[in-house]
Amino acid sequence: MSKADISIRAAGDYYEEVADTPPDLRTLVKDVTGKPVRRVGRFIQLGLIGAAKCVGGATLPPETAVYLTSRRGDLEVTIEVMQELFRDGHAPKPLSFINTVSNAACYYVARHFELHGRSCFVGGGSFGFETALDLALLEMRAGIVRSALVGCIEIATDPLALHRQRLSLAPDAAVAEASHWLWLEASRAPDAMGSVGGVEFFTSLGDLAAWFGRQGVGADSTAFSQGQFLADGEAAAIRRELGLRKAFNYRAGRGYYDCLSGALVSAFLRSEADGASAVLHINADPDGRLAVMLARR
Amino acid sequence: MSRSYFLGAGLHTRLGRGVKANIDAMFGALPTPQVIQVPLGEGHEPAPVMLLHDAPLEDVEQRLWRVIEGVASEALEAAGLTEAQRRETVLLLGSSSVDIAASEAIYQRGLRDCANAHPLMANSSLGEMADRIRRRFNLAGADYTISTACTASANALVYADALVKSGRAKFALVMGVETFNIITALGFHGLALLAPNGMRPFDKGRGGIVLGEGCSALVVGQKRNGARFHLRGSANLCDIFGMSTANPDGTTVSGVIKMALEASGTKASEINGIKAHGTASLLNDEAEAAGMRQVFPQLPQLCALKPFIGHTFGACGLNELILLTGLLERGYFPAAPGICAEPSDLDITLAQAPQPIEPGVFMLNYFGFGGNNTSLVVANVEG
Repeated sequence: MSKADISIRAAGDYYEEVADTPPDLRTLVKDVTGKPVRRVGRFIQLGLIGAAKCVGGATLPPETAVYLTSRRGDLEVTIEVMQELFRDGHAPKPLSFINTVSNAACYYVARHFELHGRSCFVGGGSFGFETALDLALLEMRAGIVRSALVGCIEIATDPLALHRQRLSLAPDAAVAEASHWLWLEASRAPDAMGSVGGVEFFTSLGDLAAWFGRQGVGADSTAFSQGQFLADGEAAAIRRELGLRKAFNYRAGRGYYDCLSGALVSAFLRSEADGASAVLHINADPDGRLAVMLARR
Repeated sequence: MSRSYFLGAGLHTRLGRGVKANIDAMFGALPTPQVIQVPLGEGHEPAPVMLLHDAPLEDVEQRLWRVIEGVASEALEAAGLTEAQRRETVLLLGSSSVDIAASEAIYQRGLRDCANAHPLMANSSLGEMADRIRRRFNLAGADYTISTACTASANALVYADALVKSGRAKFALVMGVETFNIITALGFHGLALLAPNGMRPFDKGRGGIVLGEGCSALVVGQKRNGARFHLRGSANLCDIFGMSTANPDGTTVSGVIKMALEASGTKASEINGIKAHGTASLLNDEAEAAGMRQVFPQLPQLCALKPFIGHTFGACGLNELILLTGLLERGYFPAAPGICAEPSDLDITLAQAPQPIEPGVFMLNYFGFGGNNTSLVVANVEG
């Protein structure tokens, strides 16, 4: 762990492939959080389930910040409000309208854990989880935030065939819902699962390679991990350039959802990953930008 | 201490197109809200609005983009960024509704063609607008779409400042974007929070909000071009009292104000003026007034800018910051003609004409749905 690293105290995930109709989550949210949560939709329920699985029985410091991202936000409530309004001619129900704000899930997570720290929702494009984690690290390194929950939520909507169209997926593509969370602490926690070394964005492989060289992780002990929007050919070229022989594939067998990067850290820390002590995750966007996440055991 | 400075701005609101036109208009009378009829089923519901100056509410699918393009261009040109510097610029977009107005228009068009049309089939990614802005202006840095309701663009500025100060970015283009959309209009109508006769924050006649439109842009970076205004400190906290209401006892409001003062190394007595959030709703104005009094035994002069431009939601952070700092650069503190001329039930008085003021340290407060509370401390003096 280098001086700039931020400790990972805990990680937790909800992941479920959706074969037909997205599942009712009310029982699960009660089981995982320990209390029934009323008058919220599945997006917020997913957030609570993922965050509660991450935190487990621990008590978060009340000043813990919440950073949340999603590429499409609460699609379910937004679609419902738009259909009721424009197709059916009914005004939005007050609670549905209030819950259309993107940061509603941040509020419910904060309320569940009785947190009053910073609260941020970042709408993601190709780099949703990377940007949320980046902002958390920025504020933790600046000493503004000591403890943070960083998460992502992606929801599937019914009917699934339309959901696939909305996401520009093939008609038979496997689709999933997920909620991935990390609990980070700025101090060096003795019982930390690992650490996050950094998030960076590059427009050239040369700059990325130079940055990697400064990170103090050996190419032999670092696994390369290909992000969901990084093409195979480009991934191979980057891996060659950086001399990374080990690879960590956390994407295999998963259905599609937008914020797959959110699954990386937790999956790496729970895996053998070919004996690698660090993972370098590289994602790309259509404009050729690269987003890099570095995590260590 | 490293600082990032406000290098150039762009603004388009009800008051005008361009920063100069907006600031000029703040020496005049308050604009009168327009009441438009928002279609709902077979009928209509009235909604008071302050639409963008000289930008009719038509061609909604493209209207927002034209406004953004003009405002971003104004800020980048005012900051004098070269093409090479633009490639080193990160983008932070603050918005609550992002491009939902375009999504509504696309869905309505779809329903006219086919009763079985579905919403959000074409543009459901929250990052699309940032991608488009970045490509149009050749910004190669990272982009962040901050969506924290009414604090969105204020928080975007906070992160931009942190990115520049940390050395992660040389320049940041911060934008606040909010245009009229039917969901928001009818949502606030359903909450009985619309005030057809204008916003009267802290006034005994306060009765809610007027929907505002606004788009703003601010380039921040290392000091140049004689720039003096900078963000001295800030705070953001989550108030879990309620999704849509600040704790009326004022404790959460005072908490974020105190933290911003501490973060900026400023004593309460050093604040020369406060730009209040001032939504003119009964409970939120009460909470804000109570919170300010817990920190400031003697309130500094106060202004509330929503009567000029309406409530511009996620864009109000940057819109109101540019209005305030623009007027302060001319040596005046804003007025609110006709509002709180006498002490209100909240014991607050607002100036009735712009007041001459020296450079100093100023606070801007914002409180949003989801309990998102942000306080900024800006200054045009060093120290």
